[in-house]
Formats: sequence, C-alpha cells, structure tokens
Amino acid sequence: VLQDDHKLSKEELEEKYTTSISKGLTSARAAEILARDGPNALTPPKSTPEIIKFLKQMVGGFSILLWVGALLCWIAFGIQLAQGVASAFDNLYLGVVLALVVILTGIFAYYQEAKSTNIMASFSKMIPQQALVIRDGEKKEVPAEQLVVGDIVEIKGGDRIPADIRLIFSQGCKVDNSSLTGESEPQSRSCDFTHENPLETKNIAFYSTTCLEGTATGMVINTGDHTIIGRIASLASGVGNEKTPIAIEIEHFVHIVAGVAVSIGVLFFIIAVSMKYKVLDSIIFLIGIIVANVPEGLLATVTVSLSLTAKRMAKKNCLVKNLEAVETLGSTSIICSDKTGTLTQNRMTVAHLWFDDQIYSADTSEEQTTQSFDQSSQSWATLSKIVTLCNRAEFKPGQENVPIMKRVVVGDASETALLKFAEVILGDVMGIRKRNRKLAEIPFNSTNKFQLSIHETEDPNDKRFLLVMKGAPERILERCSTIMINGEEQPLDRERAEAFQTAYMELGGLGERVLGFCHLYLPEDEFPDTYPFDTDSMNFPTSNLCFVGLLSMIDPPRSTVPDAVSKCRSAGIKVIMVTGDHPITAKAIAKSVGIISANSETVEDIAKRLNVPVEQVNKQDARAAVINGMELKDMTAEQLDEILINHSEIVFARTSPQQKLIIVEGCQRQDAVVAVTGDGVNDSPALKKADIGIAMGIAGSDAAKNAADMILLDDNFASIVTGVEEGRLIFDNLKKTIAYTLTKNIAELCPFLIYIIASIPLPIGTITILFIDLGTDIIPSVALAYEKAESDIMNRRPRHKKKDRLVNEQLAVYSYLQIGILQSIGAFLAYFTVYAEQGWLPNTLLGLRVNWEDDYYNDIEDSYGQEWTRYQRTYLQWSGYTAFFVSITIQQVADLIIRKTRRNSIFQQDLIHESPFFPFSRVQYWFVAMPYAILIWVYDEIRKLFIRQYPGSK
Amino acid sequence: MSKEEKKPFSQTMAEWRQFVYNPRSGEFLGRTAKSWGLILLFYLVFYGFLAALFTFTMWVLLQTLSGDIPKYRDRISSPGLMISPKPVTALEFYFNKSDSKSYAEYVSTLKQFLKSYDDSKQSKNIACTAGKLFEQNEDRAVKQACQFNRTMLGSCSGVEDDTFGYAKGTPCVLVKMNRIIGLKPEGEPHIQCSPKEEGKVQITYFPDGGTIDLMYFPYYGKNLHADYLQPLVAVQLAINSSSTKEDVTIECKIMGSPNLRNEDDRDKFLGRISFKVQMSE
Repeated sequence: VLQDDHKLSKEELEEKYTTSISKGLTSARAAEILARDGPNALTPPKSTPEIIKFLKQMVGGFSILLWVGALLCWIAFGIQLAQGVASAFDNLYLGVVLALVVILTGIFAYYQEAKSTNIMASFSKMIPQQALVIRDGEKKEVPAEQLVVGDIVEIKGGDRIPADIRLIFSQGCKVDNSSLTGESEPQSRSCDFTHENPLETKNIAFYSTTCLEGTATGMVINTGDHTIIGRIASLASGVGNEKTPIAIEIEHFVHIVAGVAVSIGVLFFIIAVSMKYKVLDSIIFLIGIIVANVPEGLLATVTVSLSLTAKRMAKKNCLVKNLEAVETLGSTSIICSDKTGTLTQNRMTVAHLWFDDQIYSADTSEEQTTQSFDQSSQSWATLSKIVTLCNRAEFKPGQENVPIMKRVVVGDASETALLKFAEVILGDVMGIRKRNRKLAEIPFNSTNKFQLSIHETEDPNDKRFLLVMKGAPERILERCSTIMINGEEQPLDRERAEAFQTAYMELGGLGERVLGFCHLYLPEDEFPDTYPFDTDSMNFPTSNLCFVGLLSMIDPPRSTVPDAVSKCRSAGIKVIMVTGDHPITAKAIAKSVGIISANSETVEDIAKRLNVPVEQVNKQDARAAVINGMELKDMTAEQLDEILINHSEIVFARTSPQQKLIIVEGCQRQDAVVAVTGDGVNDSPALKKADIGIAMGIAGSDAAKNAADMILLDDNFASIVTGVEEGRLIFDNLKKTIAYTLTKNIAELCPFLIYIIASIPLPIGTITILFIDLGTDIIPSVALAYEKAESDIMNRRPRHKKKDRLVNEQLAVYSYLQIGILQSIGAFLAYFTVYAEQGWLPNTLLGLRVNWEDDYYNDIEDSYGQEWTRYQRTYLQWSGYTAFFVSITIQQVADLIIRKTRRNSIFQQDLIHESPFFPFSRVQYWFVAMPYAILIWVYDEIRKLFIRQYPGSK
Repeated sequence: MSKEEKKPFSQTMAEWRQFVYNPRSGEFLGRTAKSWGLILLFYLVFYGFLAALFTFTMWVLLQTLSGDIPKYRDRISSPGLMISPKPVTALEFYFNKSDSKSYAEYVSTLKQFLKSYDDSKQSKNIACTAGKLFEQNEDRAVKQACQFNRTMLGSCSGVEDDTFGYAKGTPCVLVKMNRIIGLKPEGEPHIQCSPKEEGKVQITYFPDGGTIDLMYFPYYGKNLHADYLQPLVAVQLAINSSSTKEDVTIECKIMGSPNLRNEDDRDKFLGRISFKVQMSE
C-alpha cells in the first residue's frame, strides 16, 4: 500500500516527518533515523551460499546412484578384508574411483556454472552516489546511502534521484521514468498533486530514475527497500525461479536411466541370490550393473556442450548467465518483449515531416548520415531554419569525430531529436545559431505549450529580426494567419486548415509526437536594431504568424527488429509486446516491426471498418489485439487465457510490473515456454518469472540484469533469433549425444548379465567401463554437440514442452534394444575370439566362472589341455577386457557416424574427422567387431531411409 | 514445477489403468494389439537375424581355429607349478596322523590322480630316452607318450603305503608343472623345495633330486597327445616332532632351467608354489 504523501501540504509533510523544509534535519536526528531504517540501498537478492551450490552438484543427477555404488564397494571391501580375500582392495579402489568420478564431475559442473555467473559480478558493481542534502541548515554532500526519511535533497538535470522524493520546489524539472514504467517520454515534475495514484502524480520523483533537466528540491519520503523500485525488486525476488526446460529434460532422462539401472540391478541381484551366489558377490554384480548403466561422463558432456554453445552465443552478443538457459531459447514458444529499448532505439527521432501540403518520411535507422526526402522546396529551407534556431539542445563539446546519432546532447528528447535531425541535414547547427544570434527566448512550458525565440538573421543586409516558434500543432496553428506553400506565404483558409488537420491526425495516429513550426520576420521599422525584447511582457507579436510545417517524432524501431520478428514467426514463436507505453504508440510500433502484421486487424479496427460498435464484432475474426493495462486489471485469468489463445498478435499497453507478471503466468498456463525481454526495473519480476529472462546489456538496469538469465550485449532483439537457433541446435545435438552415449550402456551391461547367468569369465571390468564412459566416449559426444543443423531448424515449430522430450521412448528403445544389442553381440564376438585363440573355446568358458576366479586353482585346463595359473587367467581376462573395450570403441565410431544425423543419410551430411583414442591391443581385435560396426551403420541407414519415406509413423 | 498441482491419487490411478488398458481405443499399454504384434514380430525377426548372424560369425571364428593347438600361446609362456592333493580352501594341509578321516580326502585325491599313471593304462606308452626332448614328427597324427611309472615316486607312489605317508606323519605331496603345448624346457629342470624356517622338515624327493625329465616334453595338446602323462615330482615331508602343531610353510620352485621362470612378482604360481602343512598327533 502506498502512502498519500503526495496529497499532503508542505506543512503537513514537515510535521509528519518532523523536519524543516528550510533547515532540513539535524545531523543527530538523521543519524537516529538511519539507525532505525537502515541505509538507503536495496538489499541485494539473497544468493545461495557457494557451498550449497557445490553440494547440489554432488548429489544431483546420477551422483546419488554412483554414491550408492561407491558405498556398496566399500561395504564389500570391508567384508572381504575381514574374510581375508586377496582382491579386497580392488573394491576399495573402485569405490574411490566412483567417488572421485562424482566429485570431479561435480567440481567441473560447479566450475562451469560459477564461470558463467562470474561474468555477472561485474554488472552489480555500482558507483557510489552522492546526494546534495540540507542538514543543520547547511547544504552538504552525503553518500546517497545515508539519506533518511525527512531529508531535504536538491536535484538537478543529469542526477539520479537518490530516493523516493516528494517535490516541494521544482523548476522545469523532467524525469525519465522509463526504467520504472516503460514510458519512453520524459515526464515533467512539479509540486502539484495531479493524480490520486502516487505512481502517476507529478509531485513524486522515484528512486533510481534520472532527472533529465531542470532543478527540484524535495523531501525524502521512502528509502531503500521501501521505495517503489525496492518494492518491485522484492516482488522480483519473491518470484521463484522456474526450472529450465533442459533441466526438466535431463531430470527426465536421469529418471529413465536410473530406473533402468536400479530395476535391472535389483532384478539380477535377486537372480544372483537365487542362483546361489553369495550375497557379497551379488552386491559386487549390483555395483557392476549400476556402473555399466550410468553414463558417468554424460552430464559432464552436457555441461561442456552447453558451455561451448554459451561461448558461441557470447560471441554473437548473447551472454548467458545460467548455462541451462542456453537451450531454453530453443524451446521458447512465446516471446514477451518490452517495447522501449528492446524493439525500439529508445531515443526520439524525427520520423515524418509535413510541409507544402505533403507528408515526407524521414530515415529513422540507427546509422543515418543523410536524409533522402525532397529538400529542394523553399519551405524546407524555412522549416529547417526554425528547427535549428528554435531549439535549446546542444551537443556536448569535443564530439566532432563521433557520428552525429551517437553524440551526447544536453536537452530533452524531442529537442535532441530535432537537433540531430538538423545536424544531419544542414551540418554545423551550432555555427548557424552563432550567425543568427539569439536575442530573446521563451522556453517551453505546459501552460502556453510553445517555445519561442527571436534572432538576428545571418544576412547582413537584412536588418529584420526573425521570430521562430514551435509547439503543440493546434496551439501553433491558432497563432497563424498564413501558411507557407512552396516558399510562398498564402492565406490560411479553411481548406488549408483541413489539410493540416488531416496530416496532424495521420501522424498522431502513427503514435508519433507531432510539433508545429511557424515564424515571422519582424518589420524593420517597428523593431529596430536596439529594440528591447522583453519575454515577460511579450512586447512582440505572437499571433498572425506564418505556419511552416509539422515534424513528428517517434522512438523508432531498431532496424533489425522487423526481420527478427518475422524469423520468430516462421520459427513458430509468438511475439507479444508488453509495454508501459500508450496503446497508440505501442500499436504503431507493433505494426512497424511486424508484431501486428500488415493485414491483421484488431477488434476495434474491424468495428471501425464495418462501422459497428465494438461489442458486435466477432472476436474470433480479429487476429490482433491491443489490450490496455486498465482492461487487463479487470480481467479474470480465464479471460486472459482466452485472449492469449484466440489472438495470435497481441500488444499489451500501459501495463504495470505486476501485470507483466500476470501475462507471463498466463502464457505459461498455455504450456508455453516463455521468454521475456526487458530492460527496466519494472520488467524484473517478469524477467524472473519467465522461463528465460533476457535483459538488455547497454540500456538495461542492474535489476533487470540480475533477474535475467541471459543478457543481450548489443541490446539487439535480432540476437534473440541467433539464440533460438543455437538453442534448438543444442537440443537436437544433445539428443544425438545421449543416443550415442546410451547405446554403449547395453554393451557394457550385457557382459555382467551374461557373466551372472552363464558364469563365463568377466568380459569387461568396471574400471574399463569407467574408462570408456569418461575417456574414449567424451570427445566424440562433445563433438556431436558441434553438429550442424540437419534441416532448417528455424522453419519448424518450437518443441512442445511435454511431448517432444529429449529422451523419448523411441530413442531409448532404439538405443537400448536395437543398436545396443547389436553392439553387445559384436563385442562378445571379440571376447570369444580372444579366448578361443588363446585356447579357451566358448563351450569351455560356460560355467567356468567359479573355478576361473579361484585364487588357489592354478592348473585349470583349457580346451587344448594346457594348464593355466590364476594370474595367467587374469591376464587373459584383461586381454578380454581390452578386446571388448576396443570393440565397443570401434562400434561407437559407427554409432558416432549414425548419430551425426537423425533423419538425413550420412551421405547428405559432411563428415568431419574424429579419432577416438585407442589403447594398445593386438591389432586384429580392432577388426573383429568391424562387420558389426558396418552392420550398425547399414542398419541405421535403412532406418533413416524408412523415416524419410514414411514420416510421422510411430 | 512449482505451479503444477499434485494430481489426486485416484486420478493418477485412473490414468494408469487407462494406460494399461484403454477400452475405447483398445490400446494395451499405449498400443493396440496389432501394433504390439508388429513390434513383437519385428523384434522376433530382428533378434532372430542377430542370433543367426552371431552364430554365423562364431562359426567363421571357429573355422579359423585349429583343433590341435591354439592360435596363440603368448599368455602362457612359462608354466605354473601346482600340487596334488589340493586342499579345498587355500593351500593349507591340516591333518591328524592318528585320525584317518582328517586326511582321507587327501589320500583319495592322490589315488584318483595317480590312477592314470597305473601301468595298466600305460600299455601304449613307450619308454623314451631319458634326458632328451622327445620331439615327434609333424605328420604323425597321434603323438606317442612316454611312460611314467608310479614306482618312480617311491614311497609316495601309494604302492606300498596306501596312505601316502599321512598315517606315519610323513605326508606326500605331488608337485607338477602345468602343461603347455610346445614347451621345451632347457637345462636340467628339477623341483626344489625348502621350508621357510630351516630345520623344521626333512624333504625327500621322488624321483631323486626332484628331476623332471626332458623326455616328457614337448607336449602336443589334448587332441594329438591323448595319452600324455605329465611328469610328477613327489615330495615327502618329515616334520620334526618339535614342529608339530605349528604351521610349516614349504616353497617349491622349478630350478635348473633357464627358460622356466620362477621369480615373478605378480604371479605367485609361476614356476613356484608354496603351501602350508600343519600336522597334529
């Protein structure tokens, strides 16, 4: 609930805050209040302690499963040690390795996460701010942090407002509230109570907004977290962070794999126990099954892939704060974009001109250096002179080498726009002003709504003075009796006045701010050289002037935005504009960037076209909708849902921060993945609520950047499109990576199952499995993250959050039951080959396990009558591991090849050359599984052929 | 997801039931019977094909192998030593010389083991020239085996003493060298055993000096050399009466042959073996 300080008189305020407007607080009293209220600063958002973040990495994902494995290992070690089994230490080491795997991948993920968070730290550094305050009857500079309620502060143009202030004195004060409300136009501030709503009234200036010009004195009424901005910030921190879609997908995947691991593990534990294996042995089997099933390296791979993409995106000016957000853009189905600063350039620019009874369009692009409209008319020469002279804005000195559009200007937004416009066309505005010396001036004020100045002319022979005036068009027109057409003064008759009205309405309808310009050459005889112009008594004519033309200004869209919006469209992403600005302006910008396409209409448009009341229009006919914040306030959630569903092109205007939040929630109710872009403090709650919040890097406020997941360093909406593309690509590629990784799990698992059931010597050891998972498989799976897109990923719809999963049934079944089995068979062939060639034929191996593993049985006979010691057998077993390992690796090469594409034949894609790392082994064993590797390839090519021939079948 | 409300349990159950069998679409576990049938058929064909392929490749593999000798013997370049009888647990003999049951297992194992060395079984074997390798012609389909008479084992042969000395407190242990195809020992291989602590046991070897005669080598494999008998060395231990009830560790090694290794750090049975004996009265 907001206070009503804006309604109180100065005396009441003094009383309420026990202060004095002239003398301020005493230092002692200020110190007391400071002690009571705390410093005037926003409490930074609570961050999770680093140790918690670290521990989270230790227990997330498969870690729990691996911890269980490690624990089982140590238990087995303990028991075996007590029993005096020689190989007990193997289990100790395996347990240590498993724990190390968890810890190292945890550290790695933590490091990656921390690295991307660290980039952010630089943003939160703020320069300490000073405030000019009256205390003990003296003006003092104190740090803004020490301001307290009741302090009297003085502000001037260029200052940041140090707290929420009730103005008690103001002179031409204007503030930029855009970071708070999203309005791009400067707001004037006076001491008058103008509106019930403290947010709208003119006598309150808000913390963290900037004073653009003028001076003011005010009393601090709120500090720190109690300020409006503080409340919005706390609203933002109250919004829970949603889990990112990729986090949900990975969780889903972890559940699948962990489910398979645990159920197979338990199943075979039971089988093993009922086959009269010792419980201890069964536990060891269980460990093997867990280790084989869990893709230990995968989460690290995912992290690497994501951070590689994050890096790539950073190069394209998308800075990702939260690694998982990399993918979120890819699944985004609705973008709620702020207007000011995101879609627009956030500076007023001259967009249209009207003179000689004709509308001209001006170039509004960011990098304009010339203007191409017809400048031959004499009227234009006259108009340009008024624009140049009747203007108080000035370039800050020392910017001669800076492009005109980038120069810093002292002055308000409209005057700045006019100054730059004139500079672009005429050049050296300051020189022209010098040659046409200004003699008198009435600055713009809200009562007369015009600005006027009187100049000497630069023609030495012309002794007349030139009076130039600009202001609200209707007010200017009132003061004119003639109008300039093609350089000739003509009487302003009704026809001309109507033409003016039409043009004025048309430009106004475009959401542009229109200014009228007129002039008058003062007759030499009445106004001689020495005439004393007095602006207070206005001893000069201010009527019967000559109307010259209109100029209209707008905060124009960025030139890259329309293209980006249409790309989002074709990518199936709905772009919704959510702004604090006026509906007309919002709609005009929406139309010009394509958020409302050229041929779609709102309900109001249809009503106007058919000439029927709005209520009679069938809402289904209107594709577009412009919703005012006031309407939104009265809407129920269902009504909002209806709008979101029925209209494809939506603009929300005059929205408050809370409403932005409501809109985002409404979109999320439609199962959409919502991206929100914004730069202001007012956007921060929505940024946080969104699945991915995107803040502007240049124009964005710190609050917005803190709440966002991603920052556009160049403030360019088009960068989002890049982000979407990268996000979709990484999702596709992670799918490939996972498919690739899952396949070999079966080939790692089968050995254990066959080992238990057929009692053959163990084909592959746990450590070897870890070596595949964490060694040879890492590089290829990361390489898959670099795959190029198979088809135009920007032409398909965003994935459905609940239907298009990262790991679905088909992927799991195909990897596990088809390619996985194929791979296992290939690997077993290699295993049997190694044993057979050393003298152990397959039939001898069956049922051999118990004797094979007996440490004291040192003369086991092989198929040829030779006898083997335990160590010789172990050594052979290791050779078997190597062969099995090599076969898996070789077949993983085939797997890598087939996984490079999901639909296209590999012959349609460029092959890049990877060389997974091979350990030493008898060279021919590399080739035993080769036919199976080739078979995998051929088989998958056939599958892809079918997929292409019969798309969409189950 | 914070927003997602928990579904009531009954609804979850209903959804599961729906999933298990959906009467409307006739879907069972999310698929129709026909779909399941096709899938089943596919996997039947697929796994059938894989099985056939695996069988075929295994067959090809076996075709490349000789039935007589394995392709490689590099994992067993040097033979291990082993003893008979082999106690069930570790290589530790525990027995009471006055309790025949305590060593019955050992005795019967020895008897069983030596059966193939009976003269009656060796009628086909020939007497070979001692001290020389008995290399046989390549084209000989069935290789001849050299005789190894039980009598060579002296008092451990079981001929005179059918308790192999266990009843007298002088147990016999047979030491044998693992068979390896094509192994040709050099020099004059013999078994040498020594107790870990000097003086606790007197050791007698049969044949004298624990010799392993070269005429028993090379071995040609189970298939070609069916009658082959590997040479044995019997070790008879006479444990000093003062050392009864104590563990006596005995280590046997193959000596006198440069190509038979007996000092491998990792393989404790390569060319050597150690076992414990504990005898009570």
